[in-house]
Amino acid sequence: MPRAIVTGMGVVSALGRDCRENLESLQNGESGIRKPLFLQSRFSSTHLFGEVKTSDAEFKERLGLSSDIGFSRTDLMALHAFEEAVTQAGLSQADLSSPDTAFISASTVGGMCLTDQLYADSNLLGEGSSFVKAYSFGAHTLSIALLKNIKGYSTTINTACSSSANSIMLGARLIKAGKIKRAIVGGTDALAKFTINGFNSLQILSADSCKPFDEFRTGLSLGEAAAYLVLESDACCRGKKGLAEVLGYGNANDAHHPSALSDEAVGVVAAISGALHTSGVLPEQISYINAHGTATPNNDITELKGIQKSLGFIPPYSSTKSYTGHTLGAAGSLEAVFSIFSLLQNEIYPNLNCETPMKAFSERPERKLRRDIPIRFVLSNSFGFAGNCTSLILGKAS
Amino acid sequence: MYIKDLSCISPQQTYSQAFLQGRIEHFKTNHYLAAEPSYEELIPSSKLRRMGKVMRMGIGTGLPLLNKYPETKGIILATSEGGVEDSMNFLNQVVKYQEGALTPTNFVQSTPNAIAGLLALMTKNTGYNVTHVNKGLAFESALTDASLFLEEEPGARLLLGGLDQFSVYNYNIELLAGAYKKHFVDSSQLLGSGSPGTVCGEGSAMFIVDSQKKGALAQIKGVGQGSGLSLAELMERLRALLTSSNLVPEDIDAVVLGYNGDSETDTWYDKVRQELFPHQAVYSFKNLVGEYSTVSAFALWFATQLLSGFMPPKEAVLKASGEKPKRILIYNHHRAVQHGYMLLTV
Repeated sequence: MPRAIVTGMGVVSALGRDCRENLESLQNGESGIRKPLFLQSRFSSTHLFGEVKTSDAEFKERLGLSSDIGFSRTDLMALHAFEEAVTQAGLSQADLSSPDTAFISASTVGGMCLTDQLYADSNLLGEGSSFVKAYSFGAHTLSIALLKNIKGYSTTINTACSSSANSIMLGARLIKAGKIKRAIVGGTDALAKFTINGFNSLQILSADSCKPFDEFRTGLSLGEAAAYLVLESDACCRGKKGLAEVLGYGNANDAHHPSALSDEAVGVVAAISGALHTSGVLPEQISYINAHGTATPNNDITELKGIQKSLGFIPPYSSTKSYTGHTLGAAGSLEAVFSIFSLLQNEIYPNLNCETPMKAFSERPERKLRRDIPIRFVLSNSFGFAGNCTSLILGKAS
Repeated sequence: MYIKDLSCISPQQTYSQAFLQGRIEHFKTNHYLAAEPSYEELIPSSKLRRMGKVMRMGIGTGLPLLNKYPETKGIILATSEGGVEDSMNFLNQVVKYQEGALTPTNFVQSTPNAIAGLLALMTKNTGYNVTHVNKGLAFESALTDASLFLEEEPGARLLLGGLDQFSVYNYNIELLAGAYKKHFVDSSQLLGSGSPGTVCGEGSAMFIVDSQKKGALAQIKGVGQGSGLSLAELMERLRALLTSSNLVPEDIDAVVLGYNGDSETDTWYDKVRQELFPHQAVYSFKNLVGEYSTVSAFALWFATQLLSGFMPPKEAVLKASGEKPKRILIYNHHRAVQHGYMLLTV
C-alpha cells in the first residue's frame, strides 16, 4: 500500500508568517494571543485574540495580487500558506495541474469574515461589493484552484473545529488507496465577528489568553490561521526530503449534543482508537499528544477522559492553542504542522497559562520545553461542534 | 458502489409517489421552493419550529433511511451553504445589535456539519461523519469520499446526500453576482428563454449506498470532477470516465444534463451532446427543481429513477428514446467553472 509522506508545509498564524517563525515562537514559549491590530469588533478592546500580524493589504502585496481583488482574509491567508507548502515540496506547475493532484481544504468561516460587506450584499443595500463570489465556505478552494490551475479532485470540508484534520485524513486515504499521487491538504479561517459573537453567545469565549487544562480555565481564545501540508505517495517523492508520514486517522461522531462532548467521551475514544487501528501504532508508542485543548470546561476534561480510556494512560501532552488561539477550520492542519515540528526537532512545546492543575487528573500538561525524549509518534486531536471528532497519528518519515 | 435506497425532497412532489406518477409542479417565479412534507412523524413539533429549512429537509430525507438501515456505518453529506438562514439571521443580529447579547441557537445551527451531526445524534450513529461544502462540486466530492470508504470497508453501508436551501440572502448575493435572470420566466419556458442567468432551486436527495450488487437500484460506475476545465479537457475527462468502465460514448443510452436556461453557459451541454452523444436520449432536470450548488444529488436521484423504469415527464425530455435506459451519463456544471460527472448503470 502506498504511504502518505509529508513533503511540504506552509503556515501563517499569530506566531508568524512561515514555518520558521512559528517554530521559533513555539521554542521560545511566546504566545501570539494579544490585543488585535486589525480586527474591527467591539471585542477588540476587551478581548485578546490570536490575530495574524499582517494586514490584508500587505498580504495582497506579498502575493502579487491587485489591491481591488475580491479575496477575503480567509482566501489571502490560505494562498499565502499554500505557496509556502508547495514551494517547500518543490511541486512544479505540471504537478499542480495533474489529475493525480488533489486539493483538499477546509473552512468554517469562509467569507463570513467580511461581516459588513456580507450584510450589505445579502440585504441588497448597494450595487454589490467586489466580494460577491468570496462568501461561501468553498470560495477560497475554488479561487486557489483557478489561480494555480489545479484541475484534479478538489473539495472543502466543514466539520467545524475538526475540519482540516479531516482534509489531512481524506488526502492520506486517497493516496493510500492509490487514487492520486499527491494532495495539498489543510484549512483556513480568519477572525470574524460572526464566530467571536457566536462563541461569546455560548459563554465560552475567554477575554484573557486561554488556559488549557487549568482547573479554572475560562474558555477559548479565538485565533486565525491557514496551514497546508503537501502529501505525496512514497513512490512519487523519491529523492525528496520527507518531513513526516501520516500513519493513522480516525473519524467518529460523538452523537451526543450539538455543541458539547459527551461525558463518556464516546467520539473522542472512537477517533483515537480509529487512528491507532489504521496506523498500527500501539498506545505506549505515542510519545506526545498535541491536544485539542480548547480551554473550555467541557472539552479539556472530556479529552483527558477519552485519552485515558483509549490509550490506558495519559502520555505527555500540551495544547498549542495557548499560543495561537483556536483557529477553528485551520486548527487541525495547523496543529499537524506543529506536531511535525515536534517529530523533526524531538521537542515538546509547553502548554502556556496552566497554573492550577485540574482536580480530576493528576497528569498535568507539559509546561516547559522538553528536549529529553525522542518523539517517535504524535497523536493530534481535533473535536468539533455537531460531535465531529478526528484524531491523526503522525510519525517520522523514516 | 450501489444505490440501495433513496429519498428526495425537491420543488416537485418527490417525497411522495406523485412526481413519479406524473404530477408536475410549474413555477412562475425565479425561485422554486421545495414541496416539504409535514415531518410530524419524524420531528417533534417543539424541535421542528426551531429548525432551519435545510435541517428539516436533511432530517426528512436522511432519518427514515437511517431508521430503515440501522447498520449504516457513516454519514457523508454535501451542502454548499448549510444553515444559511441561521447564519444570516445571526449575522444580521451581530450587525443590528452592534455585537450585543445574542442567543446562540442560530450560531450552533448555522454550521453546515450540523445536519450530519444531528442525523448522527438522532440515530446514535458514531461512525464516519463528514460534510463537504465545495460549492458546485460538493456532492461529487462527497460521492468520491463515499466510494473510497466502501473500497476500504467493502461490507459497509453509508448514507450519502446532497442538500441546499433557498434563502433570500444567498439569492441576493448570487443575484448580484449575475447568477439569476432579471425577469421572471415560466418554468415551462426556462430552457428556451435565451437570456443570461437561471433560477434558484433547493432540495435534498439522500441515498443508501454499499458495495453489494444484490437488491441494488443502480450502480455508480464512476464519478469525476474538475475546476476551470477547457471544453477539450472536459471531453477528454468524459471519455476517460467511460474508458475506465470499458465503455465508449455509443454504449451510453441517455444523458442527464444540467441545462438551466442560462444562454451563456448552456452551450457546454450542447457541445457535450454534439460531440459525444449525438444519438442518445437527453433529459433535463433543472427546469423541474431549479439551480443550486448540490443539485447533482437530485440529478442522481432522477437518473436512478430512469433506470428503474420511471417515465419522465415531457418537460424533462429534450430528446426521447423508446427504450428504458441501461447506462446513463450525468454531466453538470456550476457557472461553467466547476464540472462534475457521474456514470450510472443498472
